[in-house]
Amino acid sequence: MRRSLTLFATLFLLWVTSAQINHYLSSLHASLFLGGLCVVFSALRLNRNEGLLTTFATGLLYDATSPLWFGCHALLFATAHMIVFRFRSRVPRDETLFPIVIGLLANLGIFFGVSFVAIHDLPTGVNPWPRLLADLLFSQVALVLAGPWFLRLQERCMEIAGVDLHLDQPGM
Amino acid sequence: MLPHRIFQRRPFLTLAVVFAVWLMLPLFVKRAMRISFFEMQAPVDLTASYVRDLQDYWALRTRSTNDLIAAGRDLARLNASYEMTLQQNATLHREVERLESVLKLPAFPEHRSEVARVARRDFNGWWQRLTLRKGRNFGITEGSPVIFTGGVVGRVSKVGLYTCEVEMISSPGFRLAATIEGDSRPISYQGGENPTLGPAKGIAEYVPLDILASLTAPKRIVTSGLGGVFPPGLAIGSLVRLEGSGDGLFKTGDVRLDSRLSEISEATILVPVKPAGY
Repeated sequence: MRRSLTLFATLFLLWVTSAQINHYLSSLHASLFLGGLCVVFSALRLNRNEGLLTTFATGLLYDATSPLWFGCHALLFATAHMIVFRFRSRVPRDETLFPIVIGLLANLGIFFGVSFVAIHDLPTGVNPWPRLLADLLFSQVALVLAGPWFLRLQERCMEIAGVDLHLDQPGM
Repeated sequence: MLPHRIFQRRPFLTLAVVFAVWLMLPLFVKRAMRISFFEMQAPVDLTASYVRDLQDYWALRTRSTNDLIAAGRDLARLNASYEMTLQQNATLHREVERLESVLKLPAFPEHRSEVARVARRDFNGWWQRLTLRKGRNFGITEGSPVIFTGGVVGRVSKVGLYTCEVEMISSPGFRLAATIEGDSRPISYQGGENPTLGPAKGIAEYVPLDILASLTAPKRIVTSGLGGVFPPGLAIGSLVRLEGSGDGLFKTGDVRLDSRLSEISEATILVPVKPAGY
């Protein structure tokens, strides 16, 4: 439970930071979405149940302030988590590059998932895709820039909380 | 071989169980969770907003005395003009009341104004929302109209204990009954595209065929008062382009919204005042 709470605290920090950045970006009509980063560490480094619990709770955090039905982000995050978890034994988890690539792919998937749910009842004549694709591009660039720092922060927080991650990753 | 395959699929079985449990979870549990997560974020938004105010305060402290004197002089002029407007407004208000009583007309719904600072702006391609620093602690109710100096901002969509969320008129799902200024026929307004690095736009529908508008000669559109949520006459934006709709009975066009909406830092919530004995 301690590792779930510690990881959730770091993800809450990520949510707060991205919300504040989006506040300032609003005058430029751009925004960032870093949902993919919420999945990477828990799916690659934690055991299945604790990782899923953390990811799901983070999704609910996003859901609480979104106009979509409650649980939409959480279920998308959980799906991305399980897909990454399923294939995690095939990627070198201790390197920086592969988690970032996985984060980019997860972010892409979650972003399109949210997009399809959010825009399905848009009025005719409204084409949101140019704006959505621009936001996605900004988000992916931001994820590449902030990803290594954030993953290291999560690892360091786990160390400070006295969590031994190697217990969850036999063979590492 | 079979146990190995089942083991490989276990993550997806777990996922299926999570989906099933979530779908079957009673609504009151989901509602309680939503409120809990919403209230957990409210202090963060409020703190960040107060910190920004403090930054602004210290930035203003660096201004010279001459700047302050000039700002005070400008404010005094504005106050004088507002005093005049207030007196005219009171006279017009009395006149409206007199006409309502003579003609036995139903009174317009009354509103109480609550000025609130913006705690957070959340504008993306999916939705456009504001978090304001007032909630149930100030009697804010869901559905209340929100305005600013440029006209309509949106309507309150969610109310927490200390904050509320506003769905903005630029949000694609937002709809509102409107009229062209000086014309009593109702039209429909809805939020439209929000291009990157450009101002948000809206869409006007059911515009009568005889209305003409262009970029060089835009038409101002205002709230119609129909539906009883928004008082009539509040500015929405300017109609800058019109073209015939598919059915040939009406026109459809683009609405240019106030550019200050994207930098809004303070808004007024019009909380409906229930008449005595309601």
